[in-house]
Amino acid sequence: MKIVVCIKQVPETTNVKINEKTKNIDRRGLGGVINSYDLHALETALEIKRNVGGEVITMTMGPDDFAVSLRETLALGADSSILLSDRAFAGADTLATGYVLGKAIKKIGDVDLVLLGQQSVDADTGQVGPIMAELLQIPQVTYANEVIAENNSLLIKRNLDNVAQEITAQLPLLLTVTDTINQPQYTNVVEITKSFAKPITTWHASELQLDDSRVGQAGSPTIVRSISSPEKAAKVGHKLTNDPREAAAELVAILKKQNILTEED
Amino acid sequence: MTVIKENWVFVETDLNKINPVTYELITKMKQISHDPVVAILIEKSDANLETELSEYGPDKILLVKDDELVDGDDLELTDALNKLIQKQGTPNTFIFPATVVGRSVAPRLQARLRTGLTADCLDLKFEDDLLVQTKPSYGDNIMCEITIPNHHPQMATARPNVFTAEKENNPALKIEEIDNLEWEKDTKLQIKSQVLPLKTSNDIAKAQRIVALGRGDKTEAGIGIANNLAKKLHATVGVTRPLTDLDQYTITEQIGQSGQTVAPDLLINLGISGAVQYTAGISNAKIVVSVNTDENAQIFKYSDYYFVGNALEFSKALEAIL
Ligand SMILES: Cc1cc2nc3c(=O)[nH]c(=O)nc-3n(C[C@H](O)[C@H](O)[C@H](O)COP(=O)(O)OP(=O)(O)OC[C@H]3O[C@@H](n4cnc5c(N)ncnc54)[C@H](O)[C@@H]3O)c2cc1C
Ligand SMILES: Cc1cc2nc3c(=O)[nH]c(=O)nc-3n(C[C@H](O)[C@H](O)[C@H](O)COP(=O)(O)OP(=O)(O)OC[C@H]3O[C@@H](n4cnc5c(N)ncnc54)[C@H](O)[C@@H]3O)c2cc1C
Repeated sequence: MKIVVCIKQVPETTNVKINEKTKNIDRRGLGGVINSYDLHALETALEIKRNVGGEVITMTMGPDDFAVSLRETLALGADSSILLSDRAFAGADTLATGYVLGKAIKKIGDVDLVLLGQQSVDADTGQVGPIMAELLQIPQVTYANEVIAENNSLLIKRNLDNVAQEITAQLPLLLTVTDTINQPQYTNVVEITKSFAKPITTWHASELQLDDSRVGQAGSPTIVRSISSPEKAAKVGHKLTNDPREAAAELVAILKKQNILTEED
Repeated sequence: MTVIKENWVFVETDLNKINPVTYELITKMKQISHDPVVAILIEKSDANLETELSEYGPDKILLVKDDELVDGDDLELTDALNKLIQKQGTPNTFIFPATVVGRSVAPRLQARLRTGLTADCLDLKFEDDLLVQTKPSYGDNIMCEITIPNHHPQMATARPNVFTAEKENNPALKIEEIDNLEWEKDTKLQIKSQVLPLKTSNDIAKAQRIVALGRGDKTEAGIGIANNLAKKLHATVGVTRPLTDLDQYTITEQIGQSGQTVAPDLLINLGISGAVQYTAGISNAKIVVSVNTDENAQIFKYSDYYFVGNALEFSKALEAIL
């Protein structure tokens, strides 16, 4: 099975601040890590490979230094990586991102399974997967909790908010996974050393036969108009007495006064 | 392309029941727009969900009765909604709930229509015909305003439990049944089974009182007392992510960024540190009470009342006097 795992590099922490001058997100001092959900997507791919055989390719769209994250996926067991890097890709929203990633999948050719995380932990949209599936004109299953690979199909379990589903899907398919699907493995020195023998190929815009009007900022219908860090009106907490029994009584009295608890409680 | 001045709202149904988030979205759109609010309802041929839907006062219901499409996969729903737009015209806005279904179908339709989509909105407002969408990012640490100035429909998914649904009698309501959508079938995917789990996320999302358990109270005794406390309070039990390791708790009870957003009158946090991924889910709680042994616990910043000490002892004491 030929599997492509799309990974996004995200800031190490989501505890980010706005730069007062540039009104933009201050990325200074923020290291990059692989989006945590994508590690579960990679592990899903590696499990499938262990069970039915195949090839695992990881791919990211981003600046050249995202190659570090690709190298990490190679150390974790991926066979090869593709970096989609071009100035023209900058400023892409989910539609333009999905377009470039989808084009790259077509260029790779004969891909059976496209795997993604359920969402990124920075922009949080979870839209890139369904957009790619649509552009590739293949079915999708999102938020998968469990996947069992058979020869030419997958058995998938997922939870909608109020419904539990079981699905069988023929390939090709695009799948996004939750972080309860598996436990990502750790790498080791041997694998890290081996990873340097595995290829990372870079593709620029010119190699992907793109329609310029659908790439980067030009291809992005959404505009981020302003960004702010909400000053969550920090609650002024009232500290209850130190003795648990007295504290419980104090709390019940307060909550009854505020009609949060009633006389029946 | 001519744009019709309508706001469409996708009605999510789960096994023949309307997901209440739909009503929240209808109410919100009616509050912020003078243009008609149109509910898109797909249901079984013998169902009659439009009656219930009418109580929330949409201006129009576009009704598709189709036994197969009700259980359609994302690809089939995308095709059907696209055909509906081809028939009816392109609405100015099209809003989906930020549920698993909404977050899966909306971006697929977005790509088909080549328009913009804003994820997981916490607020919506209009500037003339422009929909200004407020969405969180970085685990709710950042808020941004997003617009889609040059494409239609302007699409958004909006988070459940953020807007308040209000019933309203709308004498002008029109129900228009659409047949012959002729959507394309997808034979590659087969939904083998669909069941309603015993507990659903709506239980916690709609709970008026919640007792929430964290790692600091993750013992058999702690969980036992917390459940007794919840019973006495007629409260629902919620958990932080580390508790979902246990057999009895899943994402359905998990509160937070990757779990449920809650809005109870009373939330009691037992042994919870207050990670941003957790607090992202509790900002709509009215009164927050927290118990933690660490007097510098982050959770206290989100609390109206707090007790520094052992969660087990406190919940025992509280349970005893109720
Ligand atoms: C604060 C902020 C808010 C934003 N809000 C929106 C919005 O509401 N709507 C919108 O259209 N755009 C939005 N964007 C733009 C969006 O962040 C980018 O388009 C981004 O490249 C992809 O979106 P995402 O991070 O939400 O990915 P998601 O769709 O959440 O990512 C899902 C999965 O797609 C894969 N993936 C995502 N990006 C890449 C990549 N570059 N390379 C390889 N795989 C990838 C990963 O597997 C990932 O787990 C926003 C950007 C910012 C900074
Ligand atoms: C992408 C992503 C998404 C996530 N989504 C979620 C989410 O949706 N929901 C969620 O909850 N988490 C989520 N997390 C995990 C989150 O970051 C935290 O790890 C988690 O919320 C911590 O849970 P906790 O407070 O129960 O445990 P801890 O952080 O371990 O805190 C335990 C607390 O209990 C206190 N304590 C210890 N003993 C006692 C005692 N006897 N009595 C009283 N207090 C005691 C300690 O002082 C401590 O403050 C997510 C993480 C990531 C990376």
